[in-house]
Amino acid sequence: MPRKVCIVGGATTPFDYGPTGFESIEGGAAECVKETMQDIPEFSLRDIDLMIYSHFSVHFGHQLSAEWIIHDHLGLVGIPHYRVENGGNTGGSALYAAALAIKSGKHDVVGVIGWETMDSVSQSQGSEFIALASDTRYELLVGGIYPIYYAAMANKWMKENNVTEEDVASIAVKNRNNAMDNPKAQWYRNEHRYISVEDVLNSRLISYPIKKYDCCLMTRGVAFILLCSEEYAKKVNPDGYVTIDGMGLSSCTIRAGDRINFPGWVERYGVGYPDMTEFAACRDSAEKAYKMADIENPIKQIDFGEIHDAFSTSEAQIYKALGLTDNVAQFLRDERTHMHGDIPMNPGGGLMGYGHPVGATGIMSAIEAFYQLSGLIPKKHLSSKTEVKDAECGIVNSHAGTGTSISNFILRRS
Amino acid sequence: MKKKFAEQPKFTEKKEYRPKDVKETGLVFVGHEISEDRKVINQFLHYDQLYTIRHGWNSPFFIGLLEGKIMGTRCPKCGDVWVPPRTHCWNLDCKLERTEWVEMPKRAKVHTWTVAGWSGRSSLKRLPIVLVYAIFEGSKVAIANELKGIDPWDVEFNMPVRAEFIPKEERKGIITDFYFVPDDGWKPSPMNEEKKRIKKLVEPVYEWVKTLK
Repeated sequence: MPRKVCIVGGATTPFDYGPTGFESIEGGAAECVKETMQDIPEFSLRDIDLMIYSHFSVHFGHQLSAEWIIHDHLGLVGIPHYRVENGGNTGGSALYAAALAIKSGKHDVVGVIGWETMDSVSQSQGSEFIALASDTRYELLVGGIYPIYYAAMANKWMKENNVTEEDVASIAVKNRNNAMDNPKAQWYRNEHRYISVEDVLNSRLISYPIKKYDCCLMTRGVAFILLCSEEYAKKVNPDGYVTIDGMGLSSCTIRAGDRINFPGWVERYGVGYPDMTEFAACRDSAEKAYKMADIENPIKQIDFGEIHDAFSTSEAQIYKALGLTDNVAQFLRDERTHMHGDIPMNPGGGLMGYGHPVGATGIMSAIEAFYQLSGLIPKKHLSSKTEVKDAECGIVNSHAGTGTSISNFILRRS
Repeated sequence: MKKKFAEQPKFTEKKEYRPKDVKETGLVFVGHEISEDRKVINQFLHYDQLYTIRHGWNSPFFIGLLEGKIMGTRCPKCGDVWVPPRTHCWNLDCKLERTEWVEMPKRAKVHTWTVAGWSGRSSLKRLPIVLVYAIFEGSKVAIANELKGIDPWDVEFNMPVRAEFIPKEERKGIITDFYFVPDDGWKPSPMNEEKKRIKKLVEPVYEWVKTLK
């Protein structure tokens, strides 16, 4: 029998931008670990036998190997550690690495800490730092920021799928309003208001069809999650642990324009896919995760998700890539992914509501999914409004580049 | 004699166009602030560093830009052609075949587009920007660049465009040495609901850019 990988706990700092009182990354990391210790008192830092650090851009911190600062601050000298970096999918990739370490049998208790400190530069400078993860030789000078590349992809996709600006705006509204039930969410802490589709449509143009409120937030934040073998999970959190039953990681081109005829995709999915519109790496990694978790009908078998809503448009594109529907427009108009729908997406607020401190983001999504499955939402959120009742199975999605690296995880209540 | 892996290039043509305000300062602490209760300090660090982008095997593309040419590459085995170029073929069956350089036609077709009203720090004054991904005739991939010579709301899918270059003396061998313009004979379609919507979104951007110093 292959070893099972479990999640037993995790926590984030509040996510925010600007002076907030939790600026030091090692201090924030320590507080995340302490909150986890309060949730599972049987867990001791002495049990950890591997630490994986999840951090995207050294530009923001102006500190190479910042994980070394965090690691010894936690008192973990002698414990092996390394950092994973994979763009916006850094968090998902770090989870993937941690799960592989446990599956291999080499490690039993693996901590993952993710962070980003994006408020150390101005928003426009921050956007340009992120865009350094586009091909700087051919694309950076032309567009300058990621939302432009995403807008160009989404514009064509929306036309082909009859999805309107109003349709995707409903996603931005849903995630931000969900975040109003989450005290750690950046939207709750800053703007702190419920918004409407009109608000999204009237927000300033970023790149047509994307407006300001269609975009995620730029964030400072730290997150910690604890993965382990089932034996250890039964010891420290016998009633609340969650299993990672499926996982998939896939890749696509860095430049979106290079994927329209890419031989690797033509071989897998035939001519014309993914064009510049579909997230092939999302579909591919989901198919891998579904197969591993025995999921044949995702919309029926998955109860909710925490997915990578870098833009409202990309959340819509992800629904399709995950195989939840072929008719995304109707799917959106039926509000299937709202809290009252059959598959709520981003009840924690997502990147648009909770925030997107890149290296911490995928970890945050996994933590929120863990809370849903272990019954912790009433304790961690302000109410039960954003709890998915009787959830048994959730999907966690982490996403990088222009869809350049994407991971999917299937989590189940033990 | 020391054995070399490759001939050292001899750089004979040099050009400097450094703006006056670009300096390599390295690390400079330029200020700090302390909270009223003296519990928290922030420091301001400035860091500026010169990079050398060594284009190596990709150089013909960037030299081509200086000469007003769009250079692509072609796999001699399977015949696939790319702009942006690839120095080795992407078909796994071609076993990373080295590609050959070809001068591309300047005509291209818009694959998809967007109208940007926000950008990175160094592009803010250029807004609004019509950004298109266009496919040069014969290429297997689309390349991103700006479309000029058009009202932003008039851009459309599949429209014929051509690459136009900025004046030779202003070129830097970078991607923005060229931009797209509508090809001869193309005319915008009449005003419609979507165009009105884009116009409404873009108009405040023009006003906002005027306020930038």
